[in-house]
Amino acid sequence: MAENSTVVAAGRPADERLQKQSGLRKLLSRPELGAIAGTVLVFLFFGATAHGTGMFAADGIMNWITVTAQLTIIATGAALLMVGGEFDLSVGSMIGFAGMMIAIPTVYFGWPVWASVVFAFCGALLIGFLNGLIVVRTRLPSFIVTLASLYILRGMTIALSILFANRTIVSGVKNFAGDSIVVPLFSGKAFQGLFVWMANAGIIGKLPNGQPSVQGIPAVVIWAFVIALIGHIVLTRTRFGNWIFGAGGDANAARNVGVPVARVKITLFMVTAFCATVYATCQVMEFGSAAADRGVLKEFEAIIAAVIGGCLLTGGYGSVVGAFFGALIFGVVQMGILFTGAPNDWFQVFLGLMLLTAVLFNSYIRRRATGER
Amino acid sequence: MGTQLKKLLTAAVAAVPLLVGLGAVTAHADGEHFVFVSHAPDTDSWWNVIKNALKNAAADTKTTVDYRNPPTGDIADMARIIQQAAATNPDGIITTIADFDVLQSAIKDAIAKGIPVITVNSGTAEQSKQLGALMHIGQPEYDAGKGAGERAKAAGVTDFVCVNHYITNAASVERCQGYADGLGVPLGDHMVDSGQDPTGVYNKVKAYLTAHPGTNGILTLGPNAADPTIKLLRDTGETSKYNFITFDLSSDISQGIKDGIVESAIDQQPYLQGYLPVVLLTEYKRYGVLPANNINTGPGFVTKANIEMVEKLAGEYR
Amino acid sequence: MSEATNPSAATPLIEVRDLVKHFGPVVALNGVSMKVRPGEVLCLLGDNGAGKSTLIKTLSGVHKPTSGTFLVDGRPVSFSTPRDALDAGIATVYQDLAMVPLTSIARNFFMGREPMRGVGPFKFLDLAFAERVAREEMKKIGIDVRDPSQAVGTLSGGERQCVAIARAVYFGAKVLILDEPTSALGVAQTSMVLKYVHQVRARGLGVIFITHNVRHAYAVGNTFTVLNRGRTLGTYEKAAIGIEELQNLMAGDKELQLLSDDLGGMV
Repeated sequence: MAENSTVVAAGRPADERLQKQSGLRKLLSRPELGAIAGTVLVFLFFGATAHGTGMFAADGIMNWITVTAQLTIIATGAALLMVGGEFDLSVGSMIGFAGMMIAIPTVYFGWPVWASVVFAFCGALLIGFLNGLIVVRTRLPSFIVTLASLYILRGMTIALSILFANRTIVSGVKNFAGDSIVVPLFSGKAFQGLFVWMANAGIIGKLPNGQPSVQGIPAVVIWAFVIALIGHIVLTRTRFGNWIFGAGGDANAARNVGVPVARVKITLFMVTAFCATVYATCQVMEFGSAAADRGVLKEFEAIIAAVIGGCLLTGGYGSVVGAFFGALIFGVVQMGILFTGAPNDWFQVFLGLMLLTAVLFNSYIRRRATGER
Repeated sequence: MGTQLKKLLTAAVAAVPLLVGLGAVTAHADGEHFVFVSHAPDTDSWWNVIKNALKNAAADTKTTVDYRNPPTGDIADMARIIQQAAATNPDGIITTIADFDVLQSAIKDAIAKGIPVITVNSGTAEQSKQLGALMHIGQPEYDAGKGAGERAKAAGVTDFVCVNHYITNAASVERCQGYADGLGVPLGDHMVDSGQDPTGVYNKVKAYLTAHPGTNGILTLGPNAADPTIKLLRDTGETSKYNFITFDLSSDISQGIKDGIVESAIDQQPYLQGYLPVVLLTEYKRYGVLPANNINTGPGFVTKANIEMVEKLAGEYR
Repeated sequence: MSEATNPSAATPLIEVRDLVKHFGPVVALNGVSMKVRPGEVLCLLGDNGAGKSTLIKTLSGVHKPTSGTFLVDGRPVSFSTPRDALDAGIATVYQDLAMVPLTSIARNFFMGREPMRGVGPFKFLDLAFAERVAREEMKKIGIDVRDPSQAVGTLSGGERQCVAIARAVYFGAKVLILDEPTSALGVAQTSMVLKYVHQVRARGLGVIFITHNVRHAYAVGNTFTVLNRGRTLGTYEKAAIGIEELQNLMAGDKELQLLSDDLGGMV
């Protein structure tokens, strides 16, 4: 023993694994790198195939940016939760349910629209809290618990809308909302003057009636930007963010050093519910109605975006920036295929193939970068 | 690592020409380019007739028609597809009005861009006019349901079930409501949310009929609801107990009519909803001509008397 | 290796007397007594099921004892969470559960006690500080971490244990509880950890070293407490017991001795 212990003296040659990281390599090991590379690939692809179809005209760009923004909102929540080591499959159902929580009180109970929106956010946070509490208390996989919530919430959306409204689409929210601040806050268009100027300057197209072809940046895009930015800062620059990595990477190890893992996870479930409600509110305010089938399968889109963005399914690794790029890939591919005019029957095949390509490329880059085996 | 890269490149190389090739074929053919946007999820087989009609119309008019739909049937996604279609500057857009509130801004924006729009299928003539569309081609849902209800009343129906496989579509509830009003019985809890899965439909209808033995009228809103219900009645042997009216046609429904299980099918003649708008938009684009009125493609009732011809074409052109 | 100061003079950092812990009808600890003084390595020896894990978890605040006396610095304490134990200066390093593998060394080092910088509500992680400290602390024990932002998963098992111990020391632990720190390690890695344990003791900390490897225990320990079936079998100063004897005690009585004879002294 005594002889062996000289090996670990300070001058001992350090393990070679500690020396490999050059500056470039450090950059390459960031989780979002693969997604950024995938984004470049996707844009190159559509730059070649959808050239001249209007995809890169102002209204075409705004089309896929809006789709990306919607997805970014829920992907941010999904990414934070996945880094925290859990899933939420009830995001899609939560979108439908939150929409109803806004529409029914506004249209049928005569509530002011802001009160309905506040009610929806409170209700969603409560449901997120319950999801989290059940997962933490029972120690069941969140996959199963939130799968149950998926059905319960979707079922409640249908049942309650039939009960109160006798229909599954509740329309006319905008008529009741009037000129409430909530409407422009969630569905307005920002920087309208700038777009008028750009149209006059010939940078973007004009409609026959003289309006610019795009009137402004939709509120949902701004919400997405703000949510992703806050999500990114919280995850990488705050104490809570460090706890998310700990809770997802190894819950026991984190608990042993005093991280309140249960509280972190419950909070994250509330965050995903919050994000789903922002999505729903933007949708209800833009379209003026809520429907029981809103948000079907959106939970998978959110998880796919997070995974393309470098989040590990096993937790403890990932980034919000990556999830944003994942959402961008998904949004661009989803709408881009339509621009190329590919036959509809094959749409999902193409979508699947493109996503597989993006994910393979992404994971290849990541493996190269981190030296993972 | 080497094999990983190889696999990756193989996948990418395989996918790229496939997409480029197919993309080029459809988007850049000669003639006018139209986009047909439906609200139906991928699983709804009824739309096959319309797809066939679009193919025929495109061939006959030497135009290109893209069929688009939201894969899950989410109408909010459909609004994005209409926006996307408008961004490609097509020569015309044909769309359903599955939800007026959701779709109105997207459709109005397309029209503001100078794109001619014809609305078909779901929605009403008034909504179509309000949007500024050229015309509406479809079947008034409430009236069709009411016609069926009156027919059932004449046959002595006093208590009924409406099997709704697409409850999230407002038009589907209109059909049930119309039927109930035609019959003079409040809709109440006579509507079953059956879902799209055949086994689910089968068991839900079975449960309803067991729990409500007084039921003597059945209305199904399409093949997705009708086919499993026909099977159920065959299995239980109650082939003549109910006055069974359904919307739309399928091969099972035709057989059901011939066997006397189904009294009649309300045919909205979807073929016309696919074929006519393409032809009309083409003529409008080329010569500026357009019929002055909206077109009602239904309701027509298919019964034992006229099933022969209909049956041959069911699921393809009828 | 036993050139330590005379520890017996100081007040014990931790002392337990007749500690009993029941889980429903199961008696996990049935009267355990032990103490550890500053500058002392107490080795807790015992076979599987002897009650080592329960004892550690009780000392580190995970479990509450059913009865018995638990003194820290001579004062009775009652912990309700691991955090309470940490605050009292008792840090526990679990064999597999010390580090979050995919997270960086610096983030791990400060996990649960993140350094913050900023004003009012705008307080953010001071990652530069975290990386600098992690690097310095690791350097002190002879591990040169070029990049503290690299994942802990890239370190070897021994290095991970050392990071965990360095973390505990940095945050002012008075007593370190090491749970089987060497059981999954190779020879070179083991000696790295043992050497570091020795260093820590020299700084005046108390160490409770849990193991069932008598050789490792004998290499660093001053005192040996043997547990069997939830009871203290005895406590021995290093001078008073040989390695063979310790081995026999831990293995539990005659049975293994007989087996050992049968196999020609191989065990």
